[in-house]
Amino acid sequence: MAERPLPDSFDFPTLVAALALAFLGVLAIASATHADPTVGALWKAQLVWLGLATAGLLVIVAVDYHTWADLALVFHAVVAGLLVLVLLFGREVGGNKSWLVLGPVRLQPSELAKWTTCLSLSAYLATRVRGFVTARDVVRMGLLAGVPTALVLAQPDTGTALTFIPMYVVALLIGGLRWRVVVVALVLALLAAPFLWAHLEGYQRERVLTVLDPDRDPSGVGYQVRQSKIAVGSGGWTGKGLFAGTQSQLNFLPAKHTDFVLAVVSEELGFVGAGVVVALFYFLFWRGIRGARASQDRLGSCICLLVVAWLAGQFAINVGMVLGVLPTIGVPLPLMSYGGSALVAAFAGVALIVNVQSRRFVN
Amino acid sequence: MDYRQRWELKEYRFEQRFHWRTTVLHAVLVLLMVTYLGMFAWLQIADGDAWAEKAEANRLRKIPILPNRGVVYDRRHDVLASTRPSLNLVLRREGLTDADGQLRRVEGLLGIPYAELRTRLDKMKGRPSFESMMIKQDASLDELAKVEARREWFPSVEIEEVTRRNYAEGAAVAHVLGYVAEVSEDQLSRQGAHGPLERGDIVGRTGIEKGFDRTLRGRRGWKFVTVNNLGRPYGDAENGREPTDGNALQVTLDGRLQHTLYEAFGEETGAGVFLDPWTGEVLALVSTPAYDPNVFAGGIDTASWQSLEKDPRKPMNPRGIANFYAPGSTFKVVMAVAGLESGVISPSTTMYCGGSAVFYGRPFLCWKKGGHGTVDLRAALTHSCNVYFYNVGQRAGIDAIAKWGDLLNLGRPTGIDLPGEKSGTLPSPAWKAKRYAGTANAKWFAGETISVAIGQGLVSATPLQMATMISGIATGAVPYPHVLQRDRRAPRKLPVHPGTLEAIRLALADVVEEGTGQKAQLGSIRVAGKTGTAQVFKHSAGIDADKLDKAERDHAWFVGFAPAEKPEIAFAVMVEHGGHGGTTAAPIVRKVLEVFFEDRLPKKDAPAQPGPLQARAEAVLGGTAATR
Repeated sequence: MAERPLPDSFDFPTLVAALALAFLGVLAIASATHADPTVGALWKAQLVWLGLATAGLLVIVAVDYHTWADLALVFHAVVAGLLVLVLLFGREVGGNKSWLVLGPVRLQPSELAKWTTCLSLSAYLATRVRGFVTARDVVRMGLLAGVPTALVLAQPDTGTALTFIPMYVVALLIGGLRWRVVVVALVLALLAAPFLWAHLEGYQRERVLTVLDPDRDPSGVGYQVRQSKIAVGSGGWTGKGLFAGTQSQLNFLPAKHTDFVLAVVSEELGFVGAGVVVALFYFLFWRGIRGARASQDRLGSCICLLVVAWLAGQFAINVGMVLGVLPTIGVPLPLMSYGGSALVAAFAGVALIVNVQSRRFVN
Repeated sequence: MDYRQRWELKEYRFEQRFHWRTTVLHAVLVLLMVTYLGMFAWLQIADGDAWAEKAEANRLRKIPILPNRGVVYDRRHDVLASTRPSLNLVLRREGLTDADGQLRRVEGLLGIPYAELRTRLDKMKGRPSFESMMIKQDASLDELAKVEARREWFPSVEIEEVTRRNYAEGAAVAHVLGYVAEVSEDQLSRQGAHGPLERGDIVGRTGIEKGFDRTLRGRRGWKFVTVNNLGRPYGDAENGREPTDGNALQVTLDGRLQHTLYEAFGEETGAGVFLDPWTGEVLALVSTPAYDPNVFAGGIDTASWQSLEKDPRKPMNPRGIANFYAPGSTFKVVMAVAGLESGVISPSTTMYCGGSAVFYGRPFLCWKKGGHGTVDLRAALTHSCNVYFYNVGQRAGIDAIAKWGDLLNLGRPTGIDLPGEKSGTLPSPAWKAKRYAGTANAKWFAGETISVAIGQGLVSATPLQMATMISGIATGAVPYPHVLQRDRRAPRKLPVHPGTLEAIRLALADVVEEGTGQKAQLGSIRVAGKTGTAQVFKHSAGIDADKLDKAERDHAWFVGFAPAEKPEIAFAVMVEHGGHGGTTAAPIVRKVLEVFFEDRLPKKDAPAQPGPLQARAEAVLGGTAATR
């Protein structure tokens, strides 16, 4: 079958939802940082990145996703190479060596790794798996997802490493992992939990305990969680108004333009703002699932679902953190948090959904 | 690669499973979204108000605005206590670099030890960084200029403007005005949860500052300031409460008299009280040694406080109202009233003084070797004859003495409107039985009456009590001493026969005229008074008190009033270890009376007035003619 030209039926709603979230993000970043001269111009940078990301999206959509899948392993290998370079020559920020500096551009290869992992897992699922995934498939897909995960973990960026897990798990599930294997895996995970707990760093344990008891350490680890909850809760129905949130504007909220950007939106735009964000994300995810269902082939279905797994997993961790029900792990909110590489990568992910949606089998 | 296998053509089972599992994943996703949305609703809508309150508590800082304390004026509307602006040198801790260098330079320039400054700075660790550290409270202009001239040495040293209590007369008003300080933790816990005081309030600790604290204190206000996470004031103040300044207070004191009295004491230890004998208004009330109440205004340092507390001369004691001493011969005034009113003597009753007399088998000495010979009441008071009053005491009996002493306000507090008043003792058999109940001392010995008759033994009184007593003699009614102008408690009239007080007043005028109190003479204005010499050691009876070592000398008293015919001012001055009252206490009184009566006395160093002839010549010939 020939490659389908564009636009067969271009998936505008998905693009619009992604752009809406990104613009909301830029607004929130502007609000959170405008008073501080050292970071006051970040929203402009984010806007530039958004332009690049949109251009990138259009490029990715222009080329049939089958072609991208053909190149998936090459991309994946290149990104893995970048991740090794990061470990060797990377710039360290906040204890994590996750930046590659190329002149004026700072690149975070771990974000790109999410995209290539998505694509390469999908390609594997579409071509190699017949019936149920076999033990060999589990290992091979484990390698595909595990190599970048391990390299990111070595930075050591635990939060980003964590985001690879949903992709791998969903890939196994749609690949046809038997339920009894799923059950056995869950039991094993539960048994491994105490062992894992023993190997956590002190501060990581503290963060987990803080979720269970928010008043545990009000000035230390508990401070961030508490300030985030105050920001969200004090927003009320319609919020304190953009640029007028006291928690955000007076610096009580930590990492407000990155990990806690949703707390800014919740404080300044209230439940309405938070609801719109949740609704837009749900719409985006639903478009992905719809794309998976309607796709003309297995590859498209797998791509859509894995992109959803990637973005939804990150969304779940980040929002849980903002609401104070998950430990504080450095996971940004996709499409909204400040960060160029992350924005471009997320748009590249959305581009795959748009790509599949636009080339779906129309009855 | 063959990606393009259609679902319906191949792998039917895969497709079935894929769709089913996608549905499960979708359901999980929906569940997650609904849960999160519910949590947002819970936090923002159900609990929103509570979180909003926490956000407000985060950002709003209540900044107290302290009120200005009320001004204290004296009876002539001169300011005794006020609030003045003051400049502190402080170290800004925010953005502090080279702290050691700056502090060392402060040490070099202002002489404040580096170690002390460093400790102070270290103690502030953990406090918000916008709070500055105190380098020097109430810095002098000289010190400020030194720092300003070397601005580049002190990038973090700033000048802070505050207000501070100021007592223009300093130590002269120390005990009567008292001093102010920040409210203590103890005071805060005692007033309970809803008391008017808050941490950081300035309250009066002693004297008028304490007694009228409610009037003077005022009520603090506050403003709200928006702060950021570091506590730095960030935005505008929001609606708060304006402070209410304290009310001004006019007191009965006369600043000039107060000052003169304090100066007159010089290095002596003691106390002096000057009253308006008709109303009980306190004109001057001094205790020495004193302290500078200004030192307390900005918070006294521990070392200075301890040196005041440990000083053996007890400078913190308000001796005028809280220390009691044997009244010595000044008590003979009370004896005279008791004797005349109980009818055991009349003004013309005479007795013979041979230098000593025997009562109950024990000899009692007169201070004058060889005795006064035959004396009547007037002579006995004028020359302070002991033997005369031994006899009065024996005849009148202790109960009559106690009755008249009580009517003259001895043995109980005068009720002055100052905190910390104490009372001396007016002994009687009943008092002794109660005080020493169950001990061998409970019994009254007849000989004790003889000692009491000359103001020794168990009898004691504060200078204020003595001034109150002598006011009663001067006017015929015992006033309530007070420092508040509008106090209008009526004096208690003495139930005496006409003539009794007259006789005593004449005798007291003679004391100054020709007796033991001649050093209080004031020229045209006649002063009435009684000296007293209170025994400190047993052996001093019969020994010239002025020739003893200071610590062994008797306490010197002088009580009285002036003018003798129509009293306007009454007084009691006590000099600890001053020897004879006439020698040390009387001159102090005279200095104060000179100021009090200055309008009526010839100016001491005024140029001689031109004679009448010369004046007439000037009037006729003009100013120049006279000099020709």
